[in-house]
Amino acid sequence: MFFNIFKNEISYWLDRPAFYVYSLIFLFIAVMTSGSAAGLFDSITVTVGSSRIVNSPFALSGLFAGLSSLVIFLYPSIIGVSVYRDFKSEMHTILYSYPFTKLEYLLAKFFSGIFVVHIIVLLIALGIGLGFNLPGTNPDLLTEFDIKPYLDAYIIYILPNMLFTGAIVFGIVTFTRNISAGFIFVIIILILQGFLASFGQEQENRLIAALLDPFGDMALDYYTRYWTVAEQNELYIPIKGVFIYNRLIWLTIGFAVFISIYRLFSFSQNAFTFSFRKKDSVRFTKSNFGGITKINLPKINLNFSIKTQLNLFWRLSNIDFFYIIKSWPFISIVIVGLLLNLVGLFELGNIFGTATLPRTWRMLEAGAPFSLAINICTFLYAGLLIHRSRISNVNQLIDTTPTPNWILLGSKFLAIIKMQIVLLSLIMITGIIFQIYKGYYDFQIGLYIYELIVLNLIYYVIWALLSFFVQTLIPNPYLGLFVMIVLLIGIPLTSIAGIEQSIFKYNQGPGFSYSDMNGYGSGLQNYFVYKFYWLSLGIVFYILTILFYNRGLSSGIAEKFKIAKSRFNGKNPFFLSLFTLLFISIGGYIYYVNNILNVRKSAKEREIETVEWEKKYKKFESYSQPRIVSVNVNVDLFPKSRNVSASGKYIMVNKTKDVIDSIFLNHNRAISTFEFSKENSLVLEDTIYHFDIYKLKEPLSPGDSLNLEFSVKNQPNTFLRNNSPVIYNGTFVNNFTLFPSLGYSGGELRDDKTREKYGLPPNKLKPHPSNSTALGNTYISNDSDWVDFEAVVSTSKDQIAIAPGYLQKEWIEDDRRYFHYKMDSKILNFYAFNSADYQVARDKWNDVNLEIYHHKGHEYNLDRMMKGMKAALKYCSENFSPYQHKQARIIEFPRTTGTFAQSFPNTIPFSETFGFIADVDDSDEGGNDFAFVVTAHEIAHQWWAHQVIGADVLGATMLSESLSEYVALKVTEEVNGKNKMRKFLKRSLDTYLTQRTFETKRENALMYNDGQGYIHYQKGSLIFYALSDYIGESLLNNTLSNYVEKVAFQSPPYTTSIELVDDLREVIPDSLNYVIKDMFETITLYENRILKAESKELENGKYQVDFEFRVSKYRNDEKGKMFYGDEERDSIFYKSDDMRKPEYSVYLEDYIDIGVFGEDDDNELYLKKHKITSINNKLSIILDQKPVEVGIDPYNKLIDTNSDDNRKKVESL
Amino acid sequence: MELLIKNLTKTYSNKVKALDDVSLKIGVGMFGLLGPNGAGKSTLMRTIATIQSPDSGEIHFNDIDVLVDQLSLRKVLGYLPQSFGVYPKMSAEQLLNYFAVLKGVNNKAERKELVNELLEITNLLDVKKKNVDGYSGGMKQRFGIAQLLLNDPKLIIVDEPTAGLDPAERQRFLNVIREVGTNCTVIFSTHIVEDVRELCNDMAIMNGGKILKHIRPVEATKEISGKIWIKAVKRDDLEKAEQKHNVLSSNYNVDNTINIRVYNEKKPGLGFKKTEPQLDDVYFIALKEDQKK
Repeated sequence: MFFNIFKNEISYWLDRPAFYVYSLIFLFIAVMTSGSAAGLFDSITVTVGSSRIVNSPFALSGLFAGLSSLVIFLYPSIIGVSVYRDFKSEMHTILYSYPFTKLEYLLAKFFSGIFVVHIIVLLIALGIGLGFNLPGTNPDLLTEFDIKPYLDAYIIYILPNMLFTGAIVFGIVTFTRNISAGFIFVIIILILQGFLASFGQEQENRLIAALLDPFGDMALDYYTRYWTVAEQNELYIPIKGVFIYNRLIWLTIGFAVFISIYRLFSFSQNAFTFSFRKKDSVRFTKSNFGGITKINLPKINLNFSIKTQLNLFWRLSNIDFFYIIKSWPFISIVIVGLLLNLVGLFELGNIFGTATLPRTWRMLEAGAPFSLAINICTFLYAGLLIHRSRISNVNQLIDTTPTPNWILLGSKFLAIIKMQIVLLSLIMITGIIFQIYKGYYDFQIGLYIYELIVLNLIYYVIWALLSFFVQTLIPNPYLGLFVMIVLLIGIPLTSIAGIEQSIFKYNQGPGFSYSDMNGYGSGLQNYFVYKFYWLSLGIVFYILTILFYNRGLSSGIAEKFKIAKSRFNGKNPFFLSLFTLLFISIGGYIYYVNNILNVRKSAKEREIETVEWEKKYKKFESYSQPRIVSVNVNVDLFPKSRNVSASGKYIMVNKTKDVIDSIFLNHNRAISTFEFSKENSLVLEDTIYHFDIYKLKEPLSPGDSLNLEFSVKNQPNTFLRNNSPVIYNGTFVNNFTLFPSLGYSGGELRDDKTREKYGLPPNKLKPHPSNSTALGNTYISNDSDWVDFEAVVSTSKDQIAIAPGYLQKEWIEDDRRYFHYKMDSKILNFYAFNSADYQVARDKWNDVNLEIYHHKGHEYNLDRMMKGMKAALKYCSENFSPYQHKQARIIEFPRTTGTFAQSFPNTIPFSETFGFIADVDDSDEGGNDFAFVVTAHEIAHQWWAHQVIGADVLGATMLSESLSEYVALKVTEEVNGKNKMRKFLKRSLDTYLTQRTFETKRENALMYNDGQGYIHYQKGSLIFYALSDYIGESLLNNTLSNYVEKVAFQSPPYTTSIELVDDLREVIPDSLNYVIKDMFETITLYENRILKAESKELENGKYQVDFEFRVSKYRNDEKGKMFYGDEERDSIFYKSDDMRKPEYSVYLEDYIDIGVFGEDDDNELYLKKHKITSINNKLSIILDQKPVEVGIDPYNKLIDTNSDDNRKKVESL
Repeated sequence: MELLIKNLTKTYSNKVKALDDVSLKIGVGMFGLLGPNGAGKSTLMRTIATIQSPDSGEIHFNDIDVLVDQLSLRKVLGYLPQSFGVYPKMSAEQLLNYFAVLKGVNNKAERKELVNELLEITNLLDVKKKNVDGYSGGMKQRFGIAQLLLNDPKLIIVDEPTAGLDPAERQRFLNVIREVGTNCTVIFSTHIVEDVRELCNDMAIMNGGKILKHIRPVEATKEISGKIWIKAVKRDDLEKAEQKHNVLSSNYNVDNTINIRVYNEKKPGLGFKKTEPQLDDVYFIALKEDQKK
């Protein structure tokens, strides 16, 4: 009997068109995803270039499991509905009298659903395999076909997830007899998963997240989070420990659910419903025996005037609206969406563990994840409203009422809009609740309403219009929902296949972003143009919906078209052509502006341009050029019209020994003029790359100088295009954007495989620091060393304009404000201009003027920033060298320009979100006070970049970023105390270990790094911090101070990381020489851990703690491949009887902290570096106080792949 | 008042010809549309009720061109489909209110009075707060009548309304229909001849999408008066009798003999007795004659 029911179910599905639609969509998605990952679209769009193998076991399991988890959207209508269908078709009245058992029936129904889902999963696997093997894919990205990862993903992920979620959906739909309820569950579980994924970002939550993630993703992440690229490319997914527990937990839950279904299910005929009212049973008898009733109906007036019609329209939309908001899917989606929104509010804007203040724009940003909920509600209820009367079989009654179509359909549409407004308002309500909870009462109600009800609503209405059309064409609202979700997700992804212009992608286009300083800026205009464009198409879809709206009964497509034709009368043809015309003309205009009036370059064309640029001009890289020695500029900023016009004069000197006959001028696309002080002819003017060659009539002899006078003016801003870096309030523009430079400026393709394709040699990125011929330029600029700087900056009257240097004069002329700045010492050719309506906070450190130019209202953290400036100024000038300037200024710029801070000579532009509105929690639980830390880092750059600057070779950023970050850690340590540093170090370590797994080219050792942030910030600061611990802070700082003295403000050749490391090597004791190799010269990682710790009280009242710990270290090559030493004899191993495999390590002669901690927080009883020479170690220490915790490298100073097992609680015997 | 149907034709996408050149003229009063299951009655009625469009043909109700100006017809239409559902979790009162709004009863006070009166007439007043989806078949059918009357219709179309009702419900239903149908056109489809006989002043017999006969019930029986013969035969002789005679219907007696009714101009043979013609006979004659063609 099981088999009969099962077979019957399967053949039912094989007859359904929906099944084939689902199958084809998933097959298509799978082929496209794997194909595009493997470079299928390389010929039409940018080349996929990466050292990552896209079908490695790790990548493949992720892809297969990821795509299969999308199938979960189909569970309600495939697995869930199988029993419910028998009720709906009233088959159950017959069926349940047949001779089969409940178990047979349920199992057959359940497993037939599972079987159908399997067909789709199988198609996904086929699609992935097919996609990787399509002609046109790039074999460099692929490895050989292997069945094991597919099977692993299937057995470990897909099957358990399917059984567990399937069982719950099956139960829910069977008992509620409501597909929506199953659908709600799907949404909730996806949201839960999303929540766990963000929850697990924090290191301490990862184990819990790993166990609780219903899909097992976080459990896998638990083991593979720190996998390097080589490991990702080669290893199979680890099926062990937490991963297995997770799977067992959820399989057990799934099984328990199925057992409960079996227990609860009976072949009865009533759906399971919740009711809070008690039901009294009453005997019911009829008393309507025959009889003639006199029918005398009251005389009524039927009124069909336009006023009453509008009234009806409104009333009907209310009825539909209340139907929506009272229904369970809506309520559940809203509740879950709101919870998620609130959770998101706690996490959003979190930088280094510290939140930012709940500004209204931030509340609005946090509402973004709610967007999916709004869209899903729109898609679902568009379908349910359109098909509701047919599903309830009340359509024949409604359709024969004299209500015009426009009212029946329009009222549904209005109801959807009302629902969207309610949902959008919820974002405001949660935002305000959160603000109140945070004690923050600056609610910008106007901003809430404008963004939600004006800007956002248009976007959702445009989706609603399309979903009405789709849902009208598709008779099954859940299939319609599925199609709409595929469109929602799929449309933006078409860029991968080379469809780049937003005018070809429904409801796409420029977005908007709000900042306290600059509001929405000038971007809204474009937003509205694109939205009106799509709204026109949406209305066209809506008119088509009117034509194809199903009223009454119709059979076949031909009849639908016949009805549509007959409805194509009245105003319909007019509006259809009007909006089609509007759509085409706006689109045509945008196309004209972007493609004909201006040159639009596809990503592919830009890639080819990069190649051409290198091929054409790289040869000039080695040509001698004069060096800029003096810069004098006038910059006029026009914030209202967002224009800039500037002029300036460079004085250049031939510092080489060669005669220079040509100048290579590299400039931007602004309207420019160039005038040299010596006679010349323009021999090449390149209007694509803006690379011009001027041949001097009289060549420039060594020591001769040459002046360049230039003017630049942005191309005019037009209706759709912004051609200027100037914004209304908070302009921040640097010299590279604005002014010309000399010589070839780089910017080459990085990926070697892509380069090979275009016939370019492999890219070394930068020369090795040992290459003495490559030390002529700093890594900041290739046309100058140290320059004199002077600038006059003007702006509108209400703003302050700033440039590096000291204010000489300030005046007002022609209703504009002018500022004259001049630098008293030479600086790097690296400066920026800022302009905004600033408030200024002032302070002094010794004789240095401290100023913070900030937006009015952003006073929250000025004290912390002042404190940071002072602390870093003090630390650096005491330890390294005097501060070269008399002032230090922090200048705020809008978050829409970025979230970063950048140190220019005595001038530090600082993003409004990177400190100004941080909500610092000073308690122990609080995160990093980054307003303080970032300020300290940027001030340290005045030494480590603006005094000492590395040559433009590998490892240069170690000398600027790593050392600045080291200073930031040190001043943080001064404020917080040594014992509190563990949380900062752990966070840096976690960031380093996580970020390196995303490397696409290579990871070099610190002193040869390519400039990756995770190396020069996180790893660099950890290493210098650890080094100061090993050799002492004063010895390290002395060495650094001597180094500064040697190389500060030097002329070429510039210093390199090798020079500093050599200086360090000289002062380091021989026993610690290995540290240099481990930290600077190689990528070395430890795996230190405590295995066992026991303590006992001795007779003399002292305590003895015995513990066992392991120390091992390994190295990684640039791809992350693990090895244990250059040669065999460099490695050691350990194997005890109960170990299956030996543990290896690089040869050890290492000094590592051993710590013992007592009760109370951070009560350090013992901390000493022990020399460790073997992997397995036992140690016994006698202490005066009761030990609670022991640790190997307890403060996480070393790079350790698991920083959580370095400490262990002591067991008392 | 007159409903005029001209050359109505409809073929479904599965090739079934549901309406085959149907032309009818229906005046005031009760019009019975009689036919077996699948005869095309529902298609005809749905087409008149504007929720299905024919392939060709015309329908006029007074001066309304029904196929062109559907809204005007809907204003005067009361329609009760063969089967219908209702929105779940809505009471009779709420639903009637909802339909009243849809039908153009805008005045709130009027609507309230009307809904109450209709609940009274259909004897649903006691259960007006109960959800309609929990109603029994008869109650639901009465609710159907109530919604039909909301707009004081001039053309009432009821599709097999008495199927499945108990005798009391059926009687009550027919009475209400008869009561409201005096001053308007009521088209009433059924496969129960009894219904037509009791109610209708005009009727048509339909099968295979064609109108086989359009006649007043009184005249229909008059036409075959004296041509219906009855005889009790043994079970074993039934097949022989059917071959030999034009048997319209046959039914068991208590003693296991079978009464056959035969249509013939003259006495068909020994043992036949003349009997009063019934409407059933008209119905079967029409179907039989159609079959012969």
